[in-house]
Amino acid sequence: MVDRFTSKPIELPGAEHPFARADLLFYGLDHSGASYEAQVFLDPRGVGRDADAEHRAYVGSFYILGHGGCFGDVGHCDIPSRRDAFDLRPAHQLEPALRILTVTEAVRGLVERGIEEAKVTVTARTAGRAANDVLAFETVRLASYA
Amino acid sequence: MSASTPPGPELAPHALRHRRDARRLTAGQLADLRQAITATQAIGDDRGYQYWAGIHGLPLPISCVHHRELFLPWHRAYLYLFEKALQDQVPGVTLPWWDWTHHAGGIPGPYAKRRADGRKNPLFDSPIQPSGRAAPSQTRTTRTPGAPGALPLAGEVEAVLKNHDFFTFQTQLESIHDGVHVWTGGTMGDIATAAYDPLFWAHHSMIDRLWYLWQLRHGAGVPAALLDRALAPFPMTVRDTLHISRLGYDYAASTAAAKGPGHG
Repeated sequence: MVDRFTSKPIELPGAEHPFARADLLFYGLDHSGASYEAQVFLDPRGVGRDADAEHRAYVGSFYILGHGGCFGDVGHCDIPSRRDAFDLRPAHQLEPALRILTVTEAVRGLVERGIEEAKVTVTARTAGRAANDVLAFETVRLASYA
Repeated sequence: MSASTPPGPELAPHALRHRRDARRLTAGQLADLRQAITATQAIGDDRGYQYWAGIHGLPLPISCVHHRELFLPWHRAYLYLFEKALQDQVPGVTLPWWDWTHHAGGIPGPYAKRRADGRKNPLFDSPIQPSGRAAPSQTRTTRTPGAPGALPLAGEVEAVLKNHDFFTFQTQLESIHDGVHVWTGGTMGDIATAAYDPLFWAHHSMIDRLWYLWQLRHGAGVPAALLDRALAPFPMTVRDTLHISRLGYDYAASTAAAKGPGHG
């Protein structure tokens, strides 16, 4: 778990490929711990630790309502690595989450400036006194839609 | 009726009830709600408030569905059945909705005051049964609300309502929903305990209302593959949740009534 993450550069849609909408999709988000807001920035060089919602590269935020820890015995909150095709039980409570952040105007602005790729920085901010190192996800993808 | 067709008025039951804006309840409607919550708090079995709050989180098993494809249908079933439990105590009572896009004051008035009408306000907080506590000291619900201006804006909600695809709509609405939980803080800030706070039900009525408004724009819109999925532990499937008029309720900003001449 980390409190902040910057991705490798992600290719932006070229000016020759106009789009009506662009989304950032965050796959495989962990939600086992404290609840948090994830502030998202899109910038060719990434942003520093002090960036906040006033920063020019800020493109929005998403929220995760967390489970607040495990209340069972050892293994209770381990997500099964394999699932039987005939298992009709509901998915494990901690199967990772997806968040979709619409960033159309921000991406359009970067493309209009001739920028071809940008890094995604995500900063987690928990409420209250909980530690901010709650951020874990598998992939972030930029999808544009014509 | 196909799964993608919104409900028509002809399907509305005669006893259709309205869920109303929490800020616009009449004195009588608010008194009924408080009476119903108080009555269910006094019941220690599976008709009582603690039982229903515990279904969402602690005690284990945690049954709520978050961050998955059944988030909206599961919570619609949950609210429906809890509202039925309230109506068993006070016939006709309904859950109000908290429109957090109206930022003035943050938490709506009926839920914000410790006392009301010279008595303890059952909408302000709630006991938490021992098996429902995330920590032993957590005997009652608490809140640590943020600044009212930090609640979601109407424009943000409108952008989410414009989504045509159910999954994208649901995922983005859930993020807004999560943000209001975080904003409220305290007991509401964790899945394990959130439903013990009486404000939980008003927040989720707002989420359910927004799903309904989305349905009115885009049709029922739930993928066919989900329709027969069970919403455990409730005796309902996704299909059962699609049309709120069949569940006997509708959303209105406010309602007022007068008696007719009768049939005598």
